[in-house]
Amino acid sequence: MVNLTIDDNQVTAPKSSTIYEAAKLNGIKIPILCHDNKLKPFGACRMCLVEVEQMKGRQIPACTTPVTEGMIVRTATPDIVKARKMVLELLLLNHPIDCPVCDKAGDCDLQNLTYEYKVNANRFTDEKFHHKIDYNNPLIERDMNRCVLCGKCARICDEIVSFGALTFIDRGIETKIGCEFEDALNCEFCGSCVSVCPVGSLLARPFKFKARFWSLTKRKSVCGYCGTGCNLTLGIKDNKVLTTLYDENQGFHKGQLCVRGRFGYQFINSNKRLTAPMLRKEGRLTESTWEEALQIVADHLKGGNSVAALATPRLTNEELALFKKMMVENVGSKNFDHSAGYAHSALTEGFVRSFGTSASPASILDIQKSDLLLVIKTDAYETHPVIGFEINMGVKNRDIKLNILSDKRGKLSKLPGAKTLVHRPGSEVAILNAMAKSILDDKLVDASAASVPGFAELVKELAAFTPEAVAAQSGLKAADIKQLAGSYAAAEKALILFPIGQAYAGHNAELASAVANLAILTGKFDKEGCGVLCMAEKNNSQGAVDMGFYAQNGGMDGLRIIDACAAGAVKTLFIAGENPLISYPNHTKVKAALGAVECLIVADLFLTETAAMADVVLPACSFAEKEGTFTSTDRRVQHIEPAIRKSAQCKSDFEIFSALITKLGGTPPANPAAQFAEISAATPGYAGMSYLSLGSEGVFAPVAVTPALVLPKSAAVVAEEGSLSLVIGSVLYHSGTLSQYGEGPMHVCPEGYLEISRKDALLKNITDNDPVTVTSSAGSVKLKAKVTSRMPDGVVFAPYHFGAAPVNTIWSGAAVTMVTLAK
Amino acid sequence: MSDAVAQQTEEQEPVIDLSIADSVIDKYIDIPGNLMPVLQGVQDEYGYIPRMVADHIAERLNVYPSQIYGVLTFYAQFHLKPRGKFIIRVCVGTACHVQGAPRIVETFFDKLHIGHAETSPDLRFTFEKVACLGACGMAPLAMVNDSTYGGMTVQKVDEIISDYSQRPMK
Repeated sequence: MVNLTIDDNQVTAPKSSTIYEAAKLNGIKIPILCHDNKLKPFGACRMCLVEVEQMKGRQIPACTTPVTEGMIVRTATPDIVKARKMVLELLLLNHPIDCPVCDKAGDCDLQNLTYEYKVNANRFTDEKFHHKIDYNNPLIERDMNRCVLCGKCARICDEIVSFGALTFIDRGIETKIGCEFEDALNCEFCGSCVSVCPVGSLLARPFKFKARFWSLTKRKSVCGYCGTGCNLTLGIKDNKVLTTLYDENQGFHKGQLCVRGRFGYQFINSNKRLTAPMLRKEGRLTESTWEEALQIVADHLKGGNSVAALATPRLTNEELALFKKMMVENVGSKNFDHSAGYAHSALTEGFVRSFGTSASPASILDIQKSDLLLVIKTDAYETHPVIGFEINMGVKNRDIKLNILSDKRGKLSKLPGAKTLVHRPGSEVAILNAMAKSILDDKLVDASAASVPGFAELVKELAAFTPEAVAAQSGLKAADIKQLAGSYAAAEKALILFPIGQAYAGHNAELASAVANLAILTGKFDKEGCGVLCMAEKNNSQGAVDMGFYAQNGGMDGLRIIDACAAGAVKTLFIAGENPLISYPNHTKVKAALGAVECLIVADLFLTETAAMADVVLPACSFAEKEGTFTSTDRRVQHIEPAIRKSAQCKSDFEIFSALITKLGGTPPANPAAQFAEISAATPGYAGMSYLSLGSEGVFAPVAVTPALVLPKSAAVVAEEGSLSLVIGSVLYHSGTLSQYGEGPMHVCPEGYLEISRKDALLKNITDNDPVTVTSSAGSVKLKAKVTSRMPDGVVFAPYHFGAAPVNTIWSGAAVTMVTLAK
Repeated sequence: MSDAVAQQTEEQEPVIDLSIADSVIDKYIDIPGNLMPVLQGVQDEYGYIPRMVADHIAERLNVYPSQIYGVLTFYAQFHLKPRGKFIIRVCVGTACHVQGAPRIVETFFDKLHIGHAETSPDLRFTFEKVACLGACGMAPLAMVNDSTYGGMTVQKVDEIISDYSQRPMK
């Protein structure tokens, strides 16, 4: 710590801080336009000028000057105020000063400082800027006439997002922010630039002319898309969520969001939301009353084991726990699951046998504390963009080594020093086994590993997985596999990350055990910056596992429930929020199964493809309309409160299950808080938690690890002559099938596509946007072609989110599907 | 750099042989801070920096395309559209100005039918006004590529144009 004097106050600050940070830490405000606490100091705006006695009263920028012992700083002398006033005059010289029609008004740093410094006249005259406004994309408007050239947008796009869409172009008075060759903005539209813009140069178009900043009610919440657990501030007016607001102090991610979090909120107030319960009468869904609908549901639930349930892991912990309780105690069925079963098997089977727990023994915060990251599949960026930002920052700012094992290249491969091994699809487990074998052979095993149960067996069983043998089947070089294993073992702290989800069938229990083996063999778990982070797909996927909402004790898992529906063993199927018709493997089979069920009940926000087949449809609530808790992928339990009132005809799933329990003769808990009290008493790691104790940041549920070494089975994928290997996955702009109802994501990525390598495209005479018929043994589907440089030859990729042309018509749940293409 | 310039480069983009750019990139690929030498080397080969080549450099050097454009527009030495075979530069610095440089400039404009920083449609001439060529003793001064012409007069403008109009383009 360093002692210094700021405006006659004796203060202390960390040695590494700047004058600006030291002042902020001690409650002294220095005005600034170009600073954000996530970005490196830049010193562009000259608003933070201060005087330092030791520097002979020169005016120096507080944001770039480090503190020194005994420094005497004055932040508001008459000279300083005069200088700042002039800076503002110069900034306003070319600025259009069109505050009445600017959406930033009220939240604009330039406007606020102009007011604070009473700049009511300008001594200078000059022409205003005449830059063309970029209206070319539906999400971000760029008006460079209002720009003060603080560079925050260009810096956040480089330092955190690592996309680099914006930069300073030209020089001198001509300088402006723009894209290459004056192009229109065409990026991943995370809106980070919008969030940090201190003026109205970068605006969220969906929010334009919707409300003045000061008329918005701000409510904290937790994002309802992926498992990262980002915190949100919703801007609300007239009971509508109109925007997401930026708060640089919110959450571990400091307000940083991805395109889904920032622009995907419109589904909450979508006019496609269900407004009343519906019953199928004479073959058509017709509106009914809650009483009638719930009575019919309750009657059909009295079927014991012939009743099954599927729930989306977007429900709260309270709802999932109550749903389970209803199924077990009131219905008398063990048949319930989420995410088709296989999508959570990495946690519920893999980690359970390898780590003795069904949660990841690592947190997102470990990324920055690690020395080396091993990422399985570049898709980790697309599935969890904010975790991707953490990886970007770690690699760029902390020189963390990044190794990637993937079946295609991706954005992460472009990070400085990133080493990507592109292998044949489906050979991950074999490669990870070969890495374990290489670690054993090269005697890089940690001393603690020998005493772990299963060690001797694993050593024996790994004999077949020599890097040379695996190299042949995976398309890698044996030396590369050995080097990858060597660098992982050599790193003092190393973290393995891999995404799971319904699109990643290969990321199952076997893969989880394979990565767990590496961590256990090298002793890289249960330590800061080490471990394995299994990135769960949905916002409460980890919670659904923690609540035990999956097949156990002989109950049927998701896929078996579908089979049982088709076979007639399941007569009533209650689906809460899942959309199996689109997101489960094998469209034809699921459709037949759902059609065969006597009573199909769907509770959802929208009339999804699945809900359209139902006999009873119940309108449910979004995360913004209910109370409860979500557990993020690294087991941070966070509390949400209703941000808006739900519409009169909707009930939260909690209310639906409560009403049904009453009808079935049980006693439901009084409210979500009461249910949470039950959860905290019964769930390992949740002990002692209450809504009060969770606070605004949430609380980590501790993960206790009991390691065991298990040989994971690796299935060999045989490529067929003349076929391409199709891998499916998530695309950056979407999460599950819910984001189809968010306008933002649909503006950027409205439909499915088939990504294909340049060489394959050339061979098959396919160019960008060509409609291509993709055929597998299960069926065929028409997709638009997208020719990219990231796909290896012989491999094609398709995202799975879309109801129009669903990819599950050609995909039956295999990690790799052989397909042929026809134009 | 105006919108018009960017549009123009896009419109008249001819077929470009990227292997020439590759040979320049290969020379510098492992050197830190290689962007400037690569851009300079590429400009020497093509005479300007075509957009396709800028995008190719971005991909090969793993630099954002926007960042390359930032560098290209910051330095006056880089050109984004094709340049003439003969670059005529007339000094308009103080000494040359006093000695009548404005008339020399006007004469070039009239005879070549192109303005400042413009290129004749046949890609023979590019004309530029420059601040100082560092030979004030020879004012008013003009240069064509590397040849210097001191004590410029209106007659000498004619001579220079007819001389260079007859030279071969290849």
